Amino acid sequence: MERFNLLKKDHLIGFLRKLAKEYRIIAPVKNRHGDTLFTPVTDLDNDEIDLTNQPQNSIKSFLFPQTEVIATYQSSTPDDYTFTEPEPSFPPTIFFGVRPCDLSAILYMDVIFLKGKKDPFFLDKRRNSLLIGLNCTAPFANCFCNATNSGPFLEFGFDLQFTDLGDRFMVETGRSSGERLIEDRPQFFTPSTEKDSQARYQSFLEARGGFHRPVHLDQTLKKLAKGEVDESVWSFLSERCQDCGGCAYVCPTCTCFTISDQPLSPTNGERLRSWDACTFSGFTRMAGGHNPVHRATGAIRQRFLHKLLYDVKQHGRTSCVGCGRCVGICFGGTDIVRFINMSCQGELYGT
Amino acid sequence: MEHNAAGLYLPKTAKVQSVIEENSQIKTFALSLSMGAQPTVFRFQPGQFVMVSMPHCGEAPISIASSNSRTDSFDLSVRLAGRLTSAMHSLQPGDSVGIRGPFGRPFPLDKLVGTDLLFIAGGIGLAPLRSVILSCLADPRFSDNRITLLYGSRSPADIAFCTDLAAWEKSGRVDCHLTVDHGTPDWKGSVGLVTSLLDTVAPNPTRTKALVCGPGLMIRAVLAELTCLGFDPNDIITTLERHMKCGVGVCRHCHLDDKLVCRDGPVFTLAELQGHEVMELAT
Repeated sequence: MERFNLLKKDHLIGFLRKLAKEYRIIAPVKNRHGDTLFTPVTDLDNDEIDLTNQPQNSIKSFLFPQTEVIATYQSSTPDDYTFTEPEPSFPPTIFFGVRPCDLSAILYMDVIFLKGKKDPFFLDKRRNSLLIGLNCTAPFANCFCNATNSGPFLEFGFDLQFTDLGDRFMVETGRSSGERLIEDRPQFFTPSTEKDSQARYQSFLEARGGFHRPVHLDQTLKKLAKGEVDESVWSFLSERCQDCGGCAYVCPTCTCFTISDQPLSPTNGERLRSWDACTFSGFTRMAGGHNPVHRATGAIRQRFLHKLLYDVKQHGRTSCVGCGRCVGICFGGTDIVRFINMSCQGELYGT
Repeated sequence: MEHNAAGLYLPKTAKVQSVIEENSQIKTFALSLSMGAQPTVFRFQPGQFVMVSMPHCGEAPISIASSNSRTDSFDLSVRLAGRLTSAMHSLQPGDSVGIRGPFGRPFPLDKLVGTDLLFIAGGIGLAPLRSVILSCLADPRFSDNRITLLYGSRSPADIAFCTDLAAWEKSGRVDCHLTVDHGTPDWKGSVGLVTSLLDTVAPNPTRTKALVCGPGLMIRAVLAELTCLGFDPNDIITTLERHMKCGVGVCRHCHLDDKLVCRDGPVFTLAELQGHEVMELAT
């Protein structure tokens, strides 16, 4: 049976303070510029934890950093060349206030990095992470997680999940690791009643009806599966794409990366893994300059087909979680919602 | 979650045992993984590749060119193409490189037993096929296979793997046919594209499997010609070259529609490539 607890909002900081004794807390914090970003909370009395606005970043960068040392090397003479793997250094961490889209993205990253050959760097961080989700009771302007089946409420994947019921949170337990967070700190919680469950359900219905953008992803998925998306859609989008990579950087599921060496001295250096974007023109270019992917249409096609066709084939789910961040950041107007809408309309697009 | 994930991206140190200068652009390095003074065993299948590291140069994928019957060392034939391969060309015996792998899906050797084998290569593209040829010659299962090699080079001076070609010809086990794009006055052999040699050898498409590797344009021409000759797309096998970073199917630099060349290839049959956006098949 599902376990429900209530946490009064007045007790939230107290609860987090207790957790902070054992864990690093990463939560949406509004900074002095007014930006809400997932940030390590260092001062629970003064940091403004913001559960109202959508964080501009996802928690991707904590589990899969923008740049990460994956090896150090040294080579003082041509016959000496050795590599060392860095020691794991990720502290036990609680991610608090993770919205269903971003939490779904972590579940997707689990598949990418841990199914098959396990990625040692992601594994270390994931193993030391607990996820406390926050259901979305009021979708933001660009959100469409209802279309991607990753919100506005989540049913699994979290350790704990909060739902805002006004003056209190209903707290669901998803895993035994989450249950322990409550059991070890029972003073903050009271059992929920049937009335609370009804309030939660009402809140879910309102959230589900509160999306601002109609996004007919199901139609697009059918068209993609049948190969019915017109070529003119790709050439139109490719022409508009400015190759900035912004979509890949804000996307909680974009996990393409590059590997490069950073010399620290003539005899040693670091091997870095850094975020990359399949839309960059150099992404597929080989030594010597030849590029097997047609720049004009191939790059952006890979971006959308990977998320909406290939991942459905391979993993049974899209890797778009409907967070809408790329919609907000794309100044060329070639975000994924634009693609979904264009592919649904079935029109020819002149270039 | 398992705890034995370490090492996925950690290269091992390998020592250069010998260097052969194949031509002005290609060198073949014999490498041994070193654990102290003793070489350690390295097992792979023909068609697989390793990620090679050079100091401050990152990594690049290089196909293994030697026989799978040799496990104390392996060959990499490297053409000068960029920064990393330039650095490799200054390697001397005793020098070290970093190695990860082997990675990738190999040639389906078991399915080649009992068929005529037609190898068609251009330039450095002979490297992965050399691994298959040498492995077949060392494997008693292939003692009755008819083996033919068609090898195209730019000019007589560009012909690589001369020692192997001479040995194969001499042994009588491999029927070698060479051609060059541009002849010289003292070149007595064939001049023209490697496809022109197909008329000479007239392969029987019903009992032959064709293994093809070379520049994209050459692969395209050869695949088209073999199809014209009546080869089944399942009997035409090629191996693709792509930009790669991880080698293990995650970074996606080598994407080919829904496939990743490092994980699902680099070896593909023509049947597997048909219907995809592949530069080597473009018309």
